Amino acid sequence: MERKPIQTPDVRDNDTELVTAIQNGATDRFEELVTRYEGKLYNFGLRVCKDASDSEDLVQETFINIFRYLKDFRQETKFKNWMYRIATGVCHRMRRRSKYAPERELSLDEFLPQDLADIDTELPAWAAMPIHQVLNRELGDHLKASVKELPPQYRLVLVLRDMEGFSTDEASEILGITPTNVKVRLHRARLFLREELKGYFHDNQPHTS
Amino acid sequence: MTTNHTHHDDDHKACLALFEKLSEYIDGETDEVTCKAIRAHIEACPCCTTCLETLKRTIGFCEEVKEVPVPAGFSQKLREALKKMPPALSS
Ligand SMILES: [Zn+2]
Repeated sequence: MERKPIQTPDVRDNDTELVTAIQNGATDRFEELVTRYEGKLYNFGLRVCKDASDSEDLVQETFINIFRYLKDFRQETKFKNWMYRIATGVCHRMRRRSKYAPERELSLDEFLPQDLADIDTELPAWAAMPIHQVLNRELGDHLKASVKELPPQYRLVLVLRDMEGFSTDEASEILGITPTNVKVRLHRARLFLREELKGYFHDNQPHTS
Repeated sequence: MTTNHTHHDDDHKACLALFEKLSEYIDGETDEVTCKAIRAHIEACPCCTTCLETLKRTIGFCEEVKEVPVPAGFSQKLREALKKMPPALSS
């Protein structure tokens, strides 16, 4: 019987050549990896860690671990996904050290409208206006602060999916949880943020000009 | 108390069932049958339309959040720290 070949995800990308070269002994090129990803990791840190100082630590510890373990990386996944798995591991360890942001579950019930009469049938201005007319610096800052309010297991999923652009399967691989779990946490995290935004726009109407 | 729409209990149930699936729907991760059913419901239901659009916009904001540059001096500090690493790679 004719069988389709098993689909392996295509893990070759822009990093493959550089990573392979370093694995084959060109350790002087490690700095190229640092240049390529320090900004990305730093911003990831700002989104998931307590503050800028923790974020710097996250970048440094992540690169130290990459440097140490790159020889064992078998390129069965994209380098970037492997790097984020290391970074989230560092992040977990740092959180345990500093004991901030307690874990708690968000239940769907928290976000369910209690009464149909509570639901707006009219689209609020902040969702109806063109996004760039609404999203200013102040809102961006508020959003970042709201992301920090998320319990960590939800925050990581939201940041990976909606800010860093990973797919459900990739986030599942990075975090070591099932795709279903990624979806459940993501939905609740988004609902949490939406409530925060509703509160924000209740006090700050977007400028309609 | 009257509301400004014409839902009855069955519709309300449909809204609640849909509420749970909104993110999957937005991400295009529902199967085709579910997707069609959701679309049909939303087109007829102003509550769910608002719910969908505000959730989409929430995601849109997240996607648009800008990255900031690394702090001055950090790149240098990082490279110095990494230079102190033993050459553990090729073993
Ligand atoms: Zn509905």
